[in-house]
Amino acid sequence: MVNPVLLIVIPLSLAFLIPIFAFISKKILKFIPFVAFLFNLTISLKLLPRVLEQPVLTTIGGFAPPFGINIVAGPLGILFATLIALVGSLVSIYAFNYIKGKAQEKYHILYLLLLTGATGVVLTGDIFNLFVFFEILCISSYSLVAFFGDKAGIESAVKYLIQGTLGSSLILIGIGLLYGRFGTLNMADIAGNIHSVHSMSVFVPMVFLITGFGIEAAIFPLNAWLPDAHSSAPSSISAILSGIAIEVGLYAMVRIVFTLFGASSILTFLLILGALTLLIGELCAFSQENIKRMLAYSSIGQTGLILFAISMGSLSGITGGLFQVVSHTLGKALLFLAAGYMIHRSGSMNISSFGGMGKKMPYTSFAFSIGAFSLVGLPPFIGFPGKFMIIKEALSMQEAMFTILIVLILLATIIEAAYFFKVIQVIYFKGESGSPVPEKEIAPAGILLSIFIFVALIVVMGVYPGLITDALNASASELLHRVDYIKSVLP
Amino acid sequence: MRKLIGIILLTIIAAGISLSLKEIPFGIPKTIIGNHFINKGIEETGAINIVTSVVVGYRSFDTLGEITVLFTAAIGLGALFSLYKNKKTVIYKEPASLIVYTGCRFLFPIIVLTGIYIIIHGHLTPGGGFQGGAIIASAFLLMYLGCTGKRINYKLSTIAEAVGGLTFITLGIVGLITGKDFLFNFISKGEPASLMSAGIIPLIYMAIGLKVGSELTGIIDNLIEKSQ
Amino acid sequence: MNFLSENIYYIGAFSLIFIGLYILLVKKNLIKVIIGFSILDTGIYLFLITIGYIADGTAPIFSKSGLKADRMVDPVPQALVLTAIVIGVAVLALAVSLAVRLYGHYGTLNLRKIKEQRW
Repeated sequence: MVNPVLLIVIPLSLAFLIPIFAFISKKILKFIPFVAFLFNLTISLKLLPRVLEQPVLTTIGGFAPPFGINIVAGPLGILFATLIALVGSLVSIYAFNYIKGKAQEKYHILYLLLLTGATGVVLTGDIFNLFVFFEILCISSYSLVAFFGDKAGIESAVKYLIQGTLGSSLILIGIGLLYGRFGTLNMADIAGNIHSVHSMSVFVPMVFLITGFGIEAAIFPLNAWLPDAHSSAPSSISAILSGIAIEVGLYAMVRIVFTLFGASSILTFLLILGALTLLIGELCAFSQENIKRMLAYSSIGQTGLILFAISMGSLSGITGGLFQVVSHTLGKALLFLAAGYMIHRSGSMNISSFGGMGKKMPYTSFAFSIGAFSLVGLPPFIGFPGKFMIIKEALSMQEAMFTILIVLILLATIIEAAYFFKVIQVIYFKGESGSPVPEKEIAPAGILLSIFIFVALIVVMGVYPGLITDALNASASELLHRVDYIKSVLP
Repeated sequence: MRKLIGIILLTIIAAGISLSLKEIPFGIPKTIIGNHFINKGIEETGAINIVTSVVVGYRSFDTLGEITVLFTAAIGLGALFSLYKNKKTVIYKEPASLIVYTGCRFLFPIIVLTGIYIIIHGHLTPGGGFQGGAIIASAFLLMYLGCTGKRINYKLSTIAEAVGGLTFITLGIVGLITGKDFLFNFISKGEPASLMSAGIIPLIYMAIGLKVGSELTGIIDNLIEKSQ
Repeated sequence: MNFLSENIYYIGAFSLIFIGLYILLVKKNLIKVIIGFSILDTGIYLFLITIGYIADGTAPIFSKSGLKADRMVDPVPQALVLTAIVIGVAVLALAVSLAVRLYGHYGTLNLRKIKEQRW
């Protein structure tokens, strides 16, 4: 049986090796992240059937928990790790042709470290270790947003850094208060000692931790950094940030609320916050001219929907939310990759300059349309089962508040469909802006390959959702039954 | 207006924290795991400095994450400065006087030696890889400030940094290969309070010291060179 | 008075944290914000170490044989602070380099004026 710690150690050691490889040959550097994440993908797929029955506990250094650090590879963790490895390998194929120039080895090192940090966050079982890996994720994303060094990139990176560091400091204060109250840092141990959230010394750290992780997950009042950062970053990094960094922030929040604190009283508050985030995200996206900013606001909206679904607290609600996580990761990454290349060809980020792309770049425009349809929730694609499950579950809750929220969700979906169709209309039906003869320029093979694998995944998983529903159901029940989690770590 | 909102927010946070701190009295032992570390630390890791046995023994995975964070920041800094061309005109700098120049050159090896001493004795006295690495970097900073015009060899510092990080991970993987866990202590623990004790802890600290020293020096080099 | 003397360390640590948070939320100059980070971080480290203090305890190093183990302070917060200090230094280095690049592009460090991307 493979040791799950290899999921973190192999990309990390390759990241340390890249500076030495850079002295030998620069050509092989761009293949190293791809190899690392292909390896991660194989290991996590091999571990997946095993962890669906029983979470795998791995100790580090030979010390048993709670004295040493341990890695808990449960269904939720390995699901996220598989998603990270899959998207990581595909976006690294995209970067073969997209990143050129002097500092490219630094891009690959930072890329490997971002995804290593993300994998570490989803697999660890110790709260301070969660903080350290979360910091690896955040710091590499600050550097990658500013990678191209242009005016917009540096300004967005500064704003992102200030808000992100504020969040990290709040997390550290929360960890300090938790340690002072409980005397241990292991998540299962703390969870075993918390019986009620109502005493102040448990409620205050929970608020700090949720706020700190909520800044990275872009929940409503804390998301001012996101539109700037995701629109000024290089397109492959926008895909990773929207697809993975937000989801990992959401994972941390969900792990804290469900497993660590077992708080069902705060779920109502999170429900309302999720619905607000959804509405505000979609409304702001509708009025955008810049396509990457529009996609960034759409990410905020989807995050709100996922938070809403998970805060419903029932098995199908959480499964629907996790389905939406998978659909958003795949769909948004595809949209950013396709949009990135279209921007490169048309030279500007405004939607109106994409006229005629349907003829100039037929394959890329087709992929963009598939991604848009999937995110809106149309049937044969992966976005449909997720949204359907969420709305069905919300309908079955009998309270009056839910009817208002369902209306809000449907309204938001209509707005989403409106702005995506606006973009598709410009791509396919508007006239040319530029040369009168539309020459077909097909994107380079690397870019097309990664885009089409995304399209294939979206279609296949949309038609056969049963492929992943087992894993999603197991993850949802892991979140709901925290006693099982505690028992599997500390017998 | 902004000041008012800031003060209101801070008052709310202050009220929350003071209510929460009522249950965390000062000076009373609250720890469950700390007692185990103090009582069993020498027996399980072999280091008489219990903080070192926590940092590099029980919670060595955190230390691995920590050096990764520093590595990420150093690479990010290098990436930000690699395409930066400072358009300011050249500033005439006066060369350092003879006393400053000679003093710096005299102090440099002494400071580096102090740093190496603190790194190697990490498991016996307060100190360790991070502290010693920072001292070594401050010696290089002294050279940059006092004797202008001297630069470190960029290739050497990159290789030193990579070797330090790879040694740490290789020690961990050897632990994995010998059948137990990642970062398992596979060298014998020796006599407590002697220099060659505590298994892989001095080795890890030497790797960390090398890495942190060369990394901080690289950061200083980037900042000084690109801003001139 | 007794309350003050018992909790003076908590009050000191949290005063630093609040000063740092105030600077972060209110001040306009980027360098002042970075200094605010540094003060906030120092306050947090002080708070973490204060949690580990045990009355009449000494450093957890068995430097002389026969040292009693129940008279030592908690070693875990000290390990946490070691890690947190290094992370704080890394963020500070990155923030300073971003400030240098930002000044190169805009010519000013006033955060209220650097708002080219609105809405």
